[in-house]
Amino acid sequence: MTNDPELEELFNDPADRAVVDLLKASRPAAPPLDPHFRNYLRAKLMTEARQALPARAARSWFPFTLSQKTLAPAMAAVAAGFLVVLGVEIYLHGQTEAPQVACVCTAFNNKVDVGTGEPIVIPFTGPVDKTAVAESVVIQPATSVTKQWVGQNLVIIPAHPLAANTAYSVSFKPLATPTPTPAQIPGVKPTPAVAPAPVIVHFTTVRPPVTPIVPPSFKSAVVNYGYDSRLADPGTILSAAWTPAGQVLVTRPVGQLGPGSSPGPSTSATPSGPPTPKATTDVWLMSSLGTPIRILVPGGSLPAAAPSGGLIAAWQPTQGTQVNLGVWDLQGTPQATVATVDGVPDRAPVWIGGDRIAYVDQGRLRVVDLHGTQVSGVALQVGHGRLAASPTSQRLAVEGANGPVILDLRAAGSPTSLPSGAAGFAWSSKGDLAFVVRQSANTDIKSANTDLYVAADGQSFQKVATSPDGQTWSDLSWSPDATSLLLATTATNGNGAGPSLVLVNRDGSSPTPFGPSSKEFASPQWSLSGDLVLFTRRDEAAGGRAFWTATTTPSTDSAANRALAAVARFMQARISGDATTAKAELDDAGVAAYQGGSSSLLGPGGVHFSRYYPVTVQPSGSKPNAFLVGVRIFSAKNGVESSFFEEQLTLVPQGQTYLIDAVNASPTMALGHGPTVVSVEVVQTPPGQQVRVHFDSDLKAGTITRDTIQVKDADGKVVDATVTFDPDNHLATLSVKLPPGTYKLVVTTGVTDVNAVALAQEYDAPLVISR
Amino acid sequence: MPDGFEERDLVERAKQDPDAFGALYDRYFPQIYRFAYSRVRDQSLAEDVTSEVFFKALRNIKRYTYSGHPFSSWLYQITLNAVADHYRGLHGEVDLEEGSSLPSTAPAVVDEVVRRDRSRRIWAAIDQLPRQQRAAMVLKFSEDRKIEEIAQILGKSSGAVKLLLHRAVERLRRELPPEFEVGLT
Repeated sequence: MTNDPELEELFNDPADRAVVDLLKASRPAAPPLDPHFRNYLRAKLMTEARQALPARAARSWFPFTLSQKTLAPAMAAVAAGFLVVLGVEIYLHGQTEAPQVACVCTAFNNKVDVGTGEPIVIPFTGPVDKTAVAESVVIQPATSVTKQWVGQNLVIIPAHPLAANTAYSVSFKPLATPTPTPAQIPGVKPTPAVAPAPVIVHFTTVRPPVTPIVPPSFKSAVVNYGYDSRLADPGTILSAAWTPAGQVLVTRPVGQLGPGSSPGPSTSATPSGPPTPKATTDVWLMSSLGTPIRILVPGGSLPAAAPSGGLIAAWQPTQGTQVNLGVWDLQGTPQATVATVDGVPDRAPVWIGGDRIAYVDQGRLRVVDLHGTQVSGVALQVGHGRLAASPTSQRLAVEGANGPVILDLRAAGSPTSLPSGAAGFAWSSKGDLAFVVRQSANTDIKSANTDLYVAADGQSFQKVATSPDGQTWSDLSWSPDATSLLLATTATNGNGAGPSLVLVNRDGSSPTPFGPSSKEFASPQWSLSGDLVLFTRRDEAAGGRAFWTATTTPSTDSAANRALAAVARFMQARISGDATTAKAELDDAGVAAYQGGSSSLLGPGGVHFSRYYPVTVQPSGSKPNAFLVGVRIFSAKNGVESSFFEEQLTLVPQGQTYLIDAVNASPTMALGHGPTVVSVEVVQTPPGQQVRVHFDSDLKAGTITRDTIQVKDADGKVVDATVTFDPDNHLATLSVKLPPGTYKLVVTTGVTDVNAVALAQEYDAPLVISR
Repeated sequence: MPDGFEERDLVERAKQDPDAFGALYDRYFPQIYRFAYSRVRDQSLAEDVTSEVFFKALRNIKRYTYSGHPFSSWLYQITLNAVADHYRGLHGEVDLEEGSSLPSTAPAVVDEVVRRDRSRRIWAAIDQLPRQQRAAMVLKFSEDRKIEEIAQILGKSSGAVKLLLHRAVERLRRELPPEFEVGLT
């Protein structure tokens, strides 16, 4: 019988009650929903909201937001991803003439702070020639894309996330569906058809966080739960996990809509042989906002992203009852089949570094390399236990059938035993292992609790915390800087409350609720960049569990931020043409530098500064407590950015704030001519450093070499460096071992984009290596 | 269901903060779209109605004041008005309250009985109810709203909503195919 008192009171007749019970036990089927509609509408709403709700609409996307106490709102917008929507209306004037097509772009043109991880959606009204329009699309800077029509929306899917801090232009011809020619219509004179002029829409992507000198701490007490967003309806995502690039790998039931999906059920590719078992799921790549990007593994399930990025492993049915363990790239291209097992696997494979994969076959642990060669010496009965691999070493934590252990795949010898009952393994980015152990002494389930252990560097474990009586802990996930853990806590005292999330410091101190306590949250996973948490949440309306993301923002108060605050005030004044306010941010030496011609305060010869962003923040090599801040400043003509230059500003402390003491300016560089360096970071990676150079374009990987990207010392001598390239993130990384000092990064014109267009001119930037 | 304090805080922030409005959208999109679809039974139309609801909400949120009912009640009200506007545009103002009864479509319902499960059958039958009864039934049994909240959404008294629900259930009992009775006992 129903437990709704209102209904009980209303319906006394047993026959009525039977109908009511039937209604309560059933729900209408979920309505059909275009997977892009939700994000498309959100983007349109947010565009209007930022105009209609001006109080905070001008907020910077730069994470060191100066007027806000925390990063929450800015990062929420990043999390929202901002679907790029270009609204186009096509007007057809008279059906008796050749179609005259005009286009009106919506307010999206010149939009700033557009997210980098979302597809570009161009909605059309009117009878559009879909093939011709799709073929006419050109994106600058060079960006590899696929194009797909979803109803009247042209969905352009970048092969990699867009570059941050970059002005893009999308050009296309709004071609209408051909109408009957005048010759076909009696009594109408032929009029020559005029090809429509291309529509060009400009937008600028968000500012990414500049790697701070003192990274923000993810200590539990200072991490905030920001805005949350549901990825999809309950039951439409069966598993989800982050990729290193901040997208989500999901398992979806077959038949879900999205770019590249087919209407029928998926089948795995088998050119010949016995029929393939009917697949029930597919593996998809999805944005953090829940937009399906592309299907990666038709028929696949339980994917795992390689920690180095670019590859995934997943299960895919093959002949008979067999299932392949395969490797695919993020375009969905098969790379290798590394193993075949009988029966349906019940857990995802686990990457060990970038070249080995662990999995469980018939209850037995197996490890293979990417050629499918089995690694010997790891035979272990696992049962239903969990596996987890260290990101810093070749070690694997295993809930073995005979007890939990750590296997070292490089060292011979016995595995290292862990406390009996150890489970829920999670390795931090620094190689620490966390796990939980349910206290066995306490047999009363209503007062059961759990011990949390941390093994520093995976070597020696130590109990750091115990859950309160009547609560158990599970689902551990490390913060990206390894200072705190997110976990699910579940009441065992029968009060009916579902699990919720708790943050606890690495040393077990300061357990803090994360998110509203009234929600039933579980299975948290922190993204590698730390700005989002993925979790499951019970759906209050429809029942079942859905995957959600929430923004998470640590405190970033530091001296470097105060220096950046001064830079922000200085730059905003210059962009506004306010020389007096700008000069207030300069000390005497700074004023003299600008008056002496080191750079122009408000732009030379009437040129208008349109935008800026910090490229680097480094300690100054020459002055104590001073910072060197590199800013890129853009100039615009007729509202379109045409060139940029960089200033290296030296900031010195003055009481509680900072003043600009010196400036060095680069030559002006033209935009729109080949790839451009977007940002440069120096990251300490003991015993050396990494210099990370981000570009705005899809590059020809072969042009990223030790000859085209170099670090030079004070004498101009090229230092020894290893150069790697990550095409997904337009990122060239130089691994160096440099003593403290001042160096120079040089990017030559040998670097070209995928269209073979070279860097317009050589790019130089100072690098300060400090202790 | 969101707790009241948290929701009120979010709504207040949404009057100033686009991101907070985005959070409201994320929270209520599924139920508003579902409700819109339940009223119009057409995907494209449900999208139009849902767009209209959230744009109206955005343009009027500064005038929204908390009245003891969840924020979603306001959105449901806007949805009903948007649906009514649509039908007015198509047919002129039509009150379907005393509209046609089930028998004209009963054969379709019988077909449903044959080929669909019980849940789908009864919801198909609800689709055939008069407009106000259908709205009350969807809000009560699909959206789990309280009678007082439904009354506010529909602009009626609680007693009138009870009457609508009662009539709807009676009607389902009376007019569902005979074989359906087996499932009810």
